[in-house]
Amino acid sequence: MLFWSSMTTEMTIENPFQDALRFERRVPECAAVIFGANGDLTRRKLMPALYRLAYDRRLSAGFAVIGISRTPLSDDQFREKMQEAVKEFSEDTRFDEDVWRGFAAGLYYVAGNIDDPDLYRRLAKKVEEVEAAHHIGGNVLFYLSTQPSQYAPIAAGLGSVGLNHSTGWRRLVVEKPFGHDLASARELSDRLHEVFDESSVYRIDHYLGKETVQNILAFRFGNGIFEPLWNRRYIEHVQITAAESIGVEGRGAYYQEAGALADMIQNHLLQVMATIAMEPSASFRADSVRDERSKLLRSIKPMTPEVIRADTVAGQYGPARIGGEDVPGFRQEPGVDPNSRTDTYAAVTFFVENWRWAGVPFYVRTGKRLPKRVTEIAIHFRPAPLAIFGNGNSGGTPDLADGAPNLLIVRIQPEEGISLKFLSKRPGAGMNLRPVSMDFNYGSSFGERSPSAYETLLLDAIIGDATLYTRQDMVEASWTVVEPIEKVWRQTEFPFPNYAAGTWGPKEADAMLARRGHSWRKP
Amino acid sequence: MTGTVAPERILKQLAELWVSTGKEGAAEGAQGVLRAATMTLVVIAEESDDVSALGETLAALMPEHPARAIVIRLHGAGERALSERVYAQCWMPFGQRRQICCEQVEIVASDAALADLPSVVLPLVVADLPVILWCRSARMLEMSEFPDLAAIATRVVVDSSGFSTAGAALDWLTRAVRQRTPLVGDLAWTRLTRWRETLSQVFENRQNLAPLGTAARVRVSDGGSITTRALYFAAWVKDALESLGTQVSVTIARDAAVFVEVGNGQFSVRLERQGECVAVAVDGAEQCTSLPSPTDYLLMREELGIVRPDAGFEKTLASAARLVYATE
Repeated sequence: MLFWSSMTTEMTIENPFQDALRFERRVPECAAVIFGANGDLTRRKLMPALYRLAYDRRLSAGFAVIGISRTPLSDDQFREKMQEAVKEFSEDTRFDEDVWRGFAAGLYYVAGNIDDPDLYRRLAKKVEEVEAAHHIGGNVLFYLSTQPSQYAPIAAGLGSVGLNHSTGWRRLVVEKPFGHDLASARELSDRLHEVFDESSVYRIDHYLGKETVQNILAFRFGNGIFEPLWNRRYIEHVQITAAESIGVEGRGAYYQEAGALADMIQNHLLQVMATIAMEPSASFRADSVRDERSKLLRSIKPMTPEVIRADTVAGQYGPARIGGEDVPGFRQEPGVDPNSRTDTYAAVTFFVENWRWAGVPFYVRTGKRLPKRVTEIAIHFRPAPLAIFGNGNSGGTPDLADGAPNLLIVRIQPEEGISLKFLSKRPGAGMNLRPVSMDFNYGSSFGERSPSAYETLLLDAIIGDATLYTRQDMVEASWTVVEPIEKVWRQTEFPFPNYAAGTWGPKEADAMLARRGHSWRKP
Repeated sequence: MTGTVAPERILKQLAELWVSTGKEGAAEGAQGVLRAATMTLVVIAEESDDVSALGETLAALMPEHPARAIVIRLHGAGERALSERVYAQCWMPFGQRRQICCEQVEIVASDAALADLPSVVLPLVVADLPVILWCRSARMLEMSEFPDLAAIATRVVVDSSGFSTAGAALDWLTRAVRQRTPLVGDLAWTRLTRWRETLSQVFENRQNLAPLGTAARVRVSDGGSITTRALYFAAWVKDALESLGTQVSVTIARDAAVFVEVGNGQFSVRLERQGECVAVAVDGAEQCTSLPSPTDYLLMREELGIVRPDAGFEKTLASAARLVYATE
């Protein structure tokens, strides 16, 4: 197919040998430059994801990786370390020597300090060498897996040697946190934009890469039956839970600076909430979807200090004995200040100010050392307007032990799936109703392996699909919501620790829902 | 072998199967079994077809495309005979404690009983889900009973390489596609996916398209005979280049080798099978890409993922049909 590009006389030829129905998505030749190549994220997530993409033949033949870190290593030493990482952290992928050999041939390493201008000159030279050896078409993905404070200096360093431009594309992937408040988020964006356009900046939120989070869009906008019910008229409230059973697991020092609100709610859970509550987009193009997510985030009702005191709960876990084992409290974790005031639990009641959701509470909670690892969204529908089976004349009463018979649950992890709970008559005499569950289980309906979030997101960045990446306006909207809460919490003396490890969080969180006649699900 | 098969009896056996499988699962300490179905897969196979190989193919397909599988084995000529057997195909997904099971029904039918099959199969399909009919018997496609059976399906998958000639195969397929219901797929086309993808990758570099300019020659050979696969490939390449305004001349060669060549005086691309790989030569520079012969499992895995019209295939089929008349 021929077409004329806008405003120019240049004619572009599209490859006519395409078959979108049957071919894998086209993956351009490119190299990935990973800053922080010796770090945990690279070893645990990035390298196993890239190896899996290579294993599935999803990467181009000339794909190359240039690792950057301070530790002096040769290319071969880097390859060895990455091989160990792939073997250790590839959860569901067989290690194939042949695949690894091909993949490892494209691994290179440059040692250096991020503040040293010479690092960028050597990197530029290495990119040239890789270009010559692997024919990457000038396409480079820069992945910043470093301390957030290094994002801006790295971008500036890349710009100083012209690595932000080429005949192909140059993209910059940054990990959360995107700033620690609204001002710092804006400042970070401004500094990145001095070197890279917003369209080239990919802010990664791995929650959005999860298959089940993507499936929310398919569920809502691919089916006709749910959307008419998806509003204040039929939905009483929504609960979003991201619970972890583990503690800070060696990340005490980092976590102490962040806390549950900033670490989970500001980014992951507000993005999930935006996906659940956004308006349908006009198309599935990246900016159409992101416009709607952004609009939803901007519609979240700002909270005054009084409202924050009533509608938010901060918590910190204390020591406990779980399953016969003594579990330390947060303040006893290595690297954590014994008087730390960091929240390891956060629960917030949000309201969205638009016609669809006015008056519907969105209860969002996250915490460490809760009874189990589970992430789910529970949509609580309004009860039937008249309870004809519960008046004693019908010979029975509904068993409301479950609390909310009309419930739609989207399970993000583990056991991804969707369940619909409703009342059904128990067999036998009388009209005794019991809640029953109709389950859709991802793993059984689609037996094929789901790609990890990082596989999805890395491939999207290489292809140039930013749908699942966070845009600057979305980050700023999230901080606008979260920053006032943080401010009030900083000025409040909480009686930490206020929940025991292995429980569902502080009592105040239950009271927060009870005021509106609701209660937390115990998933 | 009895002469009748009552669908009600099969459905009852299926229900009983779930009760017993569930009890066995619970007794073994697992969390019961989960019944899974995203489609009904009806397979028609000759009795001479390798039973165990087909069983393995279906077992491999089930985890990715859970289905109620109805395997119809054609008993051939002889007195009227019809019988059935019901069983479950189960597997335990990695890291889980609950088995997932799919239902399988096997029906053996002699030719004399073929007319009864639609009335047996229709009640057995899972409601509201696609019905895929995979006909492995070229003989069955030409039988008068086939259209009634095909009418139950959302999509019929055949293998045109089983027809006596490419012309006969394309005639049959063209007629089937014109009817629109059900949709039609051809494994000879599916076998080309990796070849087409490899050729497409060559032209991802747009500099390789430019030298083709206004004229190009396409030569395809499939080991000496004119096959539907060769015709599809030639037609697909021709259509693609013509969409760029390139004048294309096509030759179906009768060489012993299996290859496709695209080029003109200034530029050439040649893909040629060499054992388990395909040699890709772009302007003389050659490299080998692994391309093992696809198994039935791989072919059906791809086909079961498509339950909508395949516009690319339909367009190529029409072009290939025109090409076969020009060639013959």
